[in-house]
Amino acid sequence: MRVLTVDDSRTILAMLHHTLSNAGFEVLQAEDGQKGLDVLATENVDVVITDINMPVMDGIEFIKHVRASGEHNSLPILILTTETSQDKRDQGRAAGGTGWIVKPFDPEKLISVIHRVVH
Amino acid sequence: MSDLDDFKATYFDECSELLTELEEQFAAIEAGERTPDRLNAVFRAIHSIKGGGGAFGFSELVAFAHAYETLLDHVRDGRIELSDPVAVLCIRANDLVADFVNSAKTGTKLGAAYGAEERAQFDALSNGGAHGAAAGDDENGPIVEEFDIDFVPVMVNLDGAAAAPVVPPADDSFVSAPLAVEKGHWEIRFAPHSELYARANDPLLLFRELANLGELTVEAKLNEIPPLADFEPFGIYCTWELTLVSPTATAESIGEVFEFVEGNCDLSIAQLSSKNSKAEPSLADLAQIVTPPSAAPVTDAEVESLSFAELAETVKAEAPKRAAPPPPKLVKSAEIDPAPPSLAAEELDDRRAGPDDRRGAGVQSIRVDLDKVDRVVNMVGELVITQSMLTQQMDDTLRAQYQELVRGLEVLAQTTRGLQDAVMAIRAQPVKSVFSRMPRLVRELAQKTGKKIKLETIGEATEIDKTVIEQLSDPLTHMIRNSADHGIETPEKRRALGKPEMGTIRLSAEQAGGNILIAVEDDGGGINRDRVVQVARDRMVIGPDQQLTEEQIDNLIFAPGFSTAEAVSDISGRGVGMDVVLSNIKKIGGSVHVKSRTGLGTRMTLRLPLTLAVLDVMLVKVGPSPYVIPLSSIVETIQCSRADFGRAPSGAKVLRVRGEYVQVVDLAERFELGSGADLANRFVVLCEAEGGVKIALIVDDIIGQQQVVIKSLEENFESIEGIAGGTILGDGNVALIVDVQGLKAPKLHKNAA
Repeated sequence: MRVLTVDDSRTILAMLHHTLSNAGFEVLQAEDGQKGLDVLATENVDVVITDINMPVMDGIEFIKHVRASGEHNSLPILILTTETSQDKRDQGRAAGGTGWIVKPFDPEKLISVIHRVVH
Repeated sequence: MSDLDDFKATYFDECSELLTELEEQFAAIEAGERTPDRLNAVFRAIHSIKGGGGAFGFSELVAFAHAYETLLDHVRDGRIELSDPVAVLCIRANDLVADFVNSAKTGTKLGAAYGAEERAQFDALSNGGAHGAAAGDDENGPIVEEFDIDFVPVMVNLDGAAAAPVVPPADDSFVSAPLAVEKGHWEIRFAPHSELYARANDPLLLFRELANLGELTVEAKLNEIPPLADFEPFGIYCTWELTLVSPTATAESIGEVFEFVEGNCDLSIAQLSSKNSKAEPSLADLAQIVTPPSAAPVTDAEVESLSFAELAETVKAEAPKRAAPPPPKLVKSAEIDPAPPSLAAEELDDRRAGPDDRRGAGVQSIRVDLDKVDRVVNMVGELVITQSMLTQQMDDTLRAQYQELVRGLEVLAQTTRGLQDAVMAIRAQPVKSVFSRMPRLVRELAQKTGKKIKLETIGEATEIDKTVIEQLSDPLTHMIRNSADHGIETPEKRRALGKPEMGTIRLSAEQAGGNILIAVEDDGGGINRDRVVQVARDRMVIGPDQQLTEEQIDNLIFAPGFSTAEAVSDISGRGVGMDVVLSNIKKIGGSVHVKSRTGLGTRMTLRLPLTLAVLDVMLVKVGPSPYVIPLSSIVETIQCSRADFGRAPSGAKVLRVRGEYVQVVDLAERFELGSGADLANRFVVLCEAEGGVKIALIVDDIIGQQQVVIKSLEENFESIEGIAGGTILGDGNVALIVDVQGLKAPKLHKNAA
């Protein structure tokens, strides 16, 4: 299973990579929404995990673009966020986000949330 | 745990970059660029620091960053105006964040009260700002406490989840569910909206998760399917009724399953009381009860014989991305647990051709330990030396004999040079990382001295070796302090002199050949030479009668223990400023030049090598020993027999070059080596030292040009005047590097005596 992780924080990318690859996922990385789109243009992935606050293109724009393309309607997108307020999450969902993961994440929870949205 | 340590190292690395970024952004904000982009960048930086900190449980850091972030969030959406006091608070907060990061890194405690005052200010501002805005905003509350460093799945308040009345099975198509007397018995009605599918949520996955809670019965309701004429291929016609039997399930745990689809479906969750339940069927009955028309997987071959309801399923199966999920069926936890992840992974592996060659796509840069780069740099340095040694070994006989070998060596020389440039480029970084710390310094200095100072920076993109950059921060700080403290006048004085009240310090970087020139220039009063000379005499830095040129006087400010400050301030003037600059810069193979014009200002220029590793030199012979002279300082070489020597009025030997008299230093005399050679057979190497001053070095022989790897004398032996370092030649001999700048400067003490 391939996961695209999109986050501007190297720390978070590294931790996601570690957790996910230990769980047997193949991990692709992008540092912002635009780079995430670039990856999706050439790669098949099974699930996307994206941060909200990023330079160049934020997570919400990224999700909108992914959904707007029409090619990735069934691609689960998990929003990775520390926002405890409902706003950002709701914006992310309205844009087409499938679910969310609250940072900091527990490795087991992370995997179980992925299994909630991926066959 | 080494993984965790690795992550922490990454995190602290990232933090220091983010803190630098914060400095830059605030410098621009201070300069008036209060653009949304900058505010967003500031927010993101703090947000990232907080996010990573949370992962490692740095709770003090997280709590502080969170309060600060909340303030920034209000600032960026305009609820709080970024007034000067707020900006000052933010700049202070950046320092505190740096302190918290540092405390987390070193494991030292800052104490509970650290930053409490600022946090109170954040909260006051955030709350005040929010009150002024839309009422009922959900961020009004005390946010600090909300942030929990543990994973907290947010509970969704499902409409009617707990309070929903018991729904009797009114619909005639409802197949009654099994019921265990002692177990919790739940009835769930679930009608997805199209948004649910649009967001890639899938009812099957929800059912799978529900099945993990207990025994689940799924019933598809297909009576919404319209007549064929009205049928829309992507319409949502399928709803479900589910029964969950579980001793442990609660409204919350069921609600949690539907967490991601809240608002995108009609959902009711109700607990059935035992009196509403029917007789419990056996497990065998259960299997029979749940045989909905859609239970079997639909394949293309079966389509012709399908009922309309099944046709609907087919449509959905063909357009699974927008329409319905695969057919519901009875699922039990035992069936569902082990299969999905591994199966999916296998399928994917099969589907993908050559998974490895795609791995890491999207990554355009890699981060490498500096040690590894240094190893490469060193080895390339050695390679360069070996290559130059090989070239040296080729005498004319060999050249004539082995033309192929010569050609090969030429290619090797070229490749080595290319390799070297490429490796150096890896280590090069823009000076921006150092320059960006300076605006803030100037701001603080202006505040402390009560002067008005603005900083201009030019050439921030100029690239220079990372090691040089690291060594640059202290000298630049001292130089700028010096300019602000001693150079720029008070606003009153400037006004009286007819200058603009606002003094300017200009920080610039440019590449000049094999060097980087970094200049700090101010439009202040210039060096007060009378006072410098007086102080230097008072402190015995120079002799009482020694006459110095203006340039020599200016350079006195670099003498150890020298200070002209009238009062020792906490900025500079302790006399440990400029001599530190000089020694730091010399350490990295650079030089400092100062030029001052009374009443107009002072310009201090650092000349730095592009790289510390390799030096282009001319190899010469003095007495029996090889010496090298940096090629960058050589202007020309002249045979002594053709040189026009003369005597200065003082009796010192000079060389006349194009009408200019140049000081002559005989290296054999200077280094106290006997020269057996006849003067006529010796050579003059004309060098240019700092500030365009020329000096003529007399050597016994010129051997040729080559590159050397610099080895520090101070580290391996001790510092020698007139020698900048050592190097090992291709043949294994040690050669000393001539310090042109050091030879030029007259030794003040000796001359005075």
